[in-house]
Amino acid sequence: MNLKRLPRKVGWLLLEKPKLEKAYKELKDREDLGTPGSGNCLGCVLEKTLRFTFQVLGRNTVAVFGGGCVAIGFAGYDRSPGMKITTVLPLLTHTASLSTGIKRHFQRTGQDVNVVAFCGDGSTADLSLASVSAAAERGENIIYICYDNQGTQNTGAQATTTTTYGLATPTAPAGARYHGKASFGKDMALLMALHPGVSYAATGSMAYPYDYKAKLEKALEVKDGMVYIHVFSPCVSGWDTATDNTLTISRMAVETNLFPLWEAEHGKFRLTKSLTFHKPVREYLKLIGGFSHLSGRQIDELQREVDKRMGHLKALAAS
Amino acid sequence: MIVVETRAPVRHKVTAVTGLEAAAHAVRLARVPMLSGYPITPQTYIIEYLTGMIDRGELDATFIPAESEHAVMSFMIGASLAGSRTFTATTGQGLAYMYEPYFLASTLRVPVVMAIAMREMIGPSSGFPSHQDIITVRDAGWVQLYVEDNQEVLDTTIMAFKIAEHPDVLLPVNVCFDGFYVSYSTARVEIPEQAAVDGFLPPYRPTHISLDPQLGICVNNVAISGQLVMEYRHSHAQGMESAKRVINEVDEEFGRVFGWRYGGLLEKYRLDDADLVLVTMAGICGTARAVVDQARERGLKLGLLKLRSFRPFPAAELRQALEGKAAAGVIDRNLSFGWGAGVVHTELRAALLGAAHPPHVVGFIAGLGGLEITLDQFDRAIDVLQRAAAGQSVPQVTWLGMEGGK
Repeated sequence: MNLKRLPRKVGWLLLEKPKLEKAYKELKDREDLGTPGSGNCLGCVLEKTLRFTFQVLGRNTVAVFGGGCVAIGFAGYDRSPGMKITTVLPLLTHTASLSTGIKRHFQRTGQDVNVVAFCGDGSTADLSLASVSAAAERGENIIYICYDNQGTQNTGAQATTTTTYGLATPTAPAGARYHGKASFGKDMALLMALHPGVSYAATGSMAYPYDYKAKLEKALEVKDGMVYIHVFSPCVSGWDTATDNTLTISRMAVETNLFPLWEAEHGKFRLTKSLTFHKPVREYLKLIGGFSHLSGRQIDELQREVDKRMGHLKALAAS
Repeated sequence: MIVVETRAPVRHKVTAVTGLEAAAHAVRLARVPMLSGYPITPQTYIIEYLTGMIDRGELDATFIPAESEHAVMSFMIGASLAGSRTFTATTGQGLAYMYEPYFLASTLRVPVVMAIAMREMIGPSSGFPSHQDIITVRDAGWVQLYVEDNQEVLDTTIMAFKIAEHPDVLLPVNVCFDGFYVSYSTARVEIPEQAAVDGFLPPYRPTHISLDPQLGICVNNVAISGQLVMEYRHSHAQGMESAKRVINEVDEEFGRVFGWRYGGLLEKYRLDDADLVLVTMAGICGTARAVVDQARERGLKLGLLKLRSFRPFPAAELRQALEGKAAAGVIDRNLSFGWGAGVVHTELRAALLGAAHPPHVVGFIAGLGGLEITLDQFDRAIDVLQRAAAGQSVPQVTWLGMEGGK
C-alpha cells in the first residue's frame, strides 16, 4: 500500500464522494440528451462533460456546437444527428453571433427556449473572441459554455491562447530551440466575467460535478444577460496522458490553483472551492507528458504566474 | 422601368430619398422583424434609417447592434434558421470580412436579403464605387440582382424577399447598387402603400427548416459523405435555375400590382432594331440610356442590354437577345485578374458559345475606384464597337478613362 496516497484518498471518501454521489443521484431520472456513442477519443472527459451538461440543462434547449471536438463527438454525421435536441453546427468564428440570432428570434416570438453555445477554446478565445465579447457586452441571453482543452485538438493539438505555459505542441514543440508554449495563456473566464452584460460567469470541472451542476442550474435561472461557463477539459492525445487520467488531472488542476473554481454573479466573485492548502504546480505537471521537458526555471515561472492569478482572484472575491 | 397598365393602380407617395433610404422603406413595407448592420461607407446610413423607423414606431422590428459584418451575417443566419425574415446591408471590405458566413447563408439555404452599396476593394485605399466587391463573391451561391436607381432599389428589395423565400428558390438575395451614386444620392422615389405590399408579399413562413428543440435535428452537421454534399450542391444549383423563372414571374406580378416592372432577368432598351449593343449593369445603365438616345438622334442603331440578374446568369436569354446583332460592347466596372477582362465580358463570351449568329464581343474596363464614366468614354467605346462591327481589328479589351496615362 502506498501510504503517501492514503490521506488524499481518505479525504476524498469523507468529503467529496458523498457530494458527488448526491449530484449523480439527482440526475438519475434526467434524460441523457446525447445519442449513443461518441466520436471523441478514448478517455476524453468531453463526452462526460457534454452528456452531463445537457442532462442538467434539459430538453427545452437548442444547442449550438462550435466546430471542434464537440462537433466530431456530438453534431452527428451525414443524416444521423448526434443529439436528441435540435443542434446547429456553426462556423468556428461565430458561435456567439449565430446563437444571438436564434435567441433574438425566440425572444421576439415569445418562446422561452434555452440557447446553449457549447464551444472549444480555439474558437472561443481565438477565432471568435470578438463575437463572444460583443455578445457578452450586449448581454445576450445565451448560455455560453467553453470546454477548454487548451488547443485545437482535433487538428492535431496545436496551441491556442489558453494553452498553459510550457506545454509541448506542434506550434512550439519541446526540443533544442523550442521549449513548449512560450506565453502564459489568457484567463478567458475572468476576461468574460468582467463584461457588464455577463450576469453569471463561472468555471467548472468534471472532477467536481456537484459544483458544476449547481452552476448550470444557476445558469438556467438567468434571464437578464449572458451566462459564460469555462469548463476544464484535459486532452488525452494532445497533452500526452493516460486514458484513465483525465479526471485526476482535472482534480489536480483545481488543487494546484491552476484552474480555480469560482463564480461571479453580476460581477460579485466567490470561490466555490476554496482550498486551505494548495499543492505545487509541479504535482499537476507530473501527470502530463507534454510538460515532461520543462526545466526547473520554467516550472518556477509557471508557479509564479499561478500564484499571481490566484492572488487576483482572491482579491476579487474579497472585494 | 417598363410601365404596365393595371386595373386598380396602387397609390404611391412621391418622395425624394437616397438609395439606402429607399431600401429602408422597402424593409419597412416588407415588415422585416430582424435587422442588423455595421457601418461602412457608402452603406452607413442604412443603420440610422432602420433604427429611426423602429424608434418612431413605423417598423416593428429588432435591430441587433453588431461588432462586425461577420457578426451581422451570423445573426441573420441564426434568426433566419429560427424563422425570421431578415435584412441587412454592407459593401466592400465589410462584405469581404463577412465572406465566411456569407457562403454559409447560401449553402444553408436561408433567404436573407442583403443590399450591397457596391464599392472598390482596398489596395490602394479606395472606398469609391466599383462592382469589384460583389463580383468577387459571385460563386458563393447568392442570387445577385443589379439595380440602376433609387426607385429600382425600393422595388427590387421588395421583390427580393419574394424571390428569396419562394419554395423553389430558398436562396439569399443581394440587391446591388452603386455606392455613393445611388446609395447616398437623393432622387425621386414613389413609395407604395402598405396594403399593396402586404397583398404582394405574404409573411415568411418557413417550411424547410425549424429549430423546435423537440425535433432533434442537426442543422449543418458533419458531412462525411461526399454524396450528401453533392446532393446539397445539386439542390442549390436547381434553386438557382428556378430563380431564373421566379425572378421573371415576380417581376411580372410586381408590374400587375404596382404599375411598372423592370424586365426580370434583363431589360432591353431600344434593342429590337439595334445593330450595336451596350451590355452593362447597375448605375452605368443610367448614362448608357442617354448615350443610346443621343446615338439614335445621330442615326446610329445603338441599343442597351441591362443585365439585372448576374446570379443566376441568364445565358440563354442573353444569347437570344444578342442573336444577329453586329457587335456588343460590355462595360465592366470590375476586373477579373488573370483574364485581363471584366467578369461580365468573359461570362457573356461563354454564354454566346453555340449561338447561330453571335455578335462580335468587345470589352471595356471603366469606372474603377469611383472614376466617373463620362460621355467621352462612351464615345470611345462606340467607336470601338463600330470598328468591330465593320470587321476591323480592335482590341478585345479597352480601358476607358486612362488615356492620358496609357
